[in-house]
Amino acid sequence: MSAAEAVYYVVAVVAILSALGVVLAGNIVHAAIFFILALGGIAGFYLMLSVEFLALVQLIVYGGAVTILILFALMLTRARERPQALFGKTRPLGVVASLALLAAFIGASVGTDWFEQTPRGDIEPVPFQELGDVIFTVWIVPFILIGILLSIALDGAVLLAVPDEED
Amino acid sequence: MPVLSELAGVGLPDWIDALLRILFIVALMTVNAFGLIYLERKVLARFQARVGPTKTGPIGTLQSIADALKLATKEDVRPTTADRWIFELAPYFVFVPVFLMFIPIPFTQDWVVRDVELGFLYVFGVLGLNIVGVVMAGWGSDNKYALLGGVRAAAQAISYELPMLLVTVGVVMIAANHLLDDGLSTSQALNLNFIADDQRTTPYIILQPLGFAIFMIGILAELHRPPFDLPVAETEVVGGYFVEYSGMRWGMFFLAEYTALFLLVMLAVVVFLGGWNWPFGEDVGLSLQIVLTLGKAGAFIFVMFGTRALIPRLRIDQLMAFSWKVLLPFSIVQVIANAIIMSYGGADWILGLVSLALLVLLIALVSVQMRLKAGAGTTTIRREPARPRMITAQETSSAGASGD
Repeated sequence: MSAAEAVYYVVAVVAILSALGVVLAGNIVHAAIFFILALGGIAGFYLMLSVEFLALVQLIVYGGAVTILILFALMLTRARERPQALFGKTRPLGVVASLALLAAFIGASVGTDWFEQTPRGDIEPVPFQELGDVIFTVWIVPFILIGILLSIALDGAVLLAVPDEED
Repeated sequence: MPVLSELAGVGLPDWIDALLRILFIVALMTVNAFGLIYLERKVLARFQARVGPTKTGPIGTLQSIADALKLATKEDVRPTTADRWIFELAPYFVFVPVFLMFIPIPFTQDWVVRDVELGFLYVFGVLGLNIVGVVMAGWGSDNKYALLGGVRAAAQAISYELPMLLVTVGVVMIAANHLLDDGLSTSQALNLNFIADDQRTTPYIILQPLGFAIFMIGILAELHRPPFDLPVAETEVVGGYFVEYSGMRWGMFFLAEYTALFLLVMLAVVVFLGGWNWPFGEDVGLSLQIVLTLGKAGAFIFVMFGTRALIPRLRIDQLMAFSWKVLLPFSIVQVIANAIIMSYGGADWILGLVSLALLVLLIALVSVQMRLKAGAGTTTIRREPARPRMITAQETSSAGASGD
């Protein structure tokens, strides 16, 4: 087993175990911490796919900012006292949905001819300027749409957070 | 660091070499923390017309070592109601990312742990992870002051990271522009080695004074240093997120704090002051390079210690407003101004002039605002505190109680 393979398995085990932790942890703050680890594992996958830029962006955006906001919300709602709130009546539905998704993923990965699609020869890191060029030319419309969506979400959050005049 | 591998000898296997480097860095940072703590106490004391530590060793120089010995022998206490895993893991989550920041920061032209092409982005990536540890410590301690401190730290870190990242974009734009002028690919524009090298003739502080000012303010906030020390303010939250920690775990927070101080100042030196370069001038040799880098860093650290003595702490609403209403708009304007000037092919001095004008405008706005507030005098005190009340521990507990 080469070093790259060993690193891959470590990253994969971390990602999968912490993803399981997110779902199975009784305490919702523990789940959020596992979530950070799982996202870190995904950053590891990006790194192994030689998209260093995306891996670092994943760390900055998800590792730092987004999960902090989640933790923030959880801590202020006294999540510690109500760990059972994680599982409700919809649990069977969730199980069915996730099993279906798992089946789809397994089907897709078994049905793909990986050998055919694996690039041969030396693998170069994807230059980040290429990502930039593509985002701002080919994918400019989705990029702008995501920008609008985020602005709307931000406005909505402000609207919800500002207390009513009567209070 | 090629010197270290020479010291370690040629015949050693890679993993021993790596281990030696890690040990070297940890030892160096421990010494760095000892030195900085001692200097901080001395400098602060001078600012306050005291003399600082004098008893331990010659002019008190062994004070930090005495403190460290005390910490190492102190009992490691954990509150019974604390969340065990989170409480015990939190110091590592603070400690490890800070040390990871070491990797891409160059000390001299070729003294760098590893020349990372995306070094700039990497530094911010690992810096962000550090906050996770702080929040874990705050929540895991099951102490309302710790929780408050952790939440304050998270809010502050998220708010001040944005302007810092944006002024970074401004700097990277200039680096990329210089690369394009030379007809090269822009792939090195995020490389800290290249950024420092590019300032051979003109440091970026001349081209981006506003960027530099915002970056320094951001560093103060990221490090929870006064006037942004609300997460660890002893008069408000009794020490903040690490209030329940003792012994070496507390020591790890402290070590991480001073290491982060050193590394972030090094980052600012590399990015805005040209790192090892003699300002506006000649190539200098290795020994002078390291002196220049550390000298610039030392000057900054001195300014930061001075800030602690001279500027009073902000209130939390002022803290948030300053980031979101002042720094963020100005950093966005800086990026847009850079883009416009560069797309019309403006010279570097225009960039510097525009940025300087923006900085003057920022200072003028803030001082006018402060004068208005000062004129209002008592009304500001009598007014009910608006937003920050939402996140006091009391309110969360009463909200939780009514919800149950």
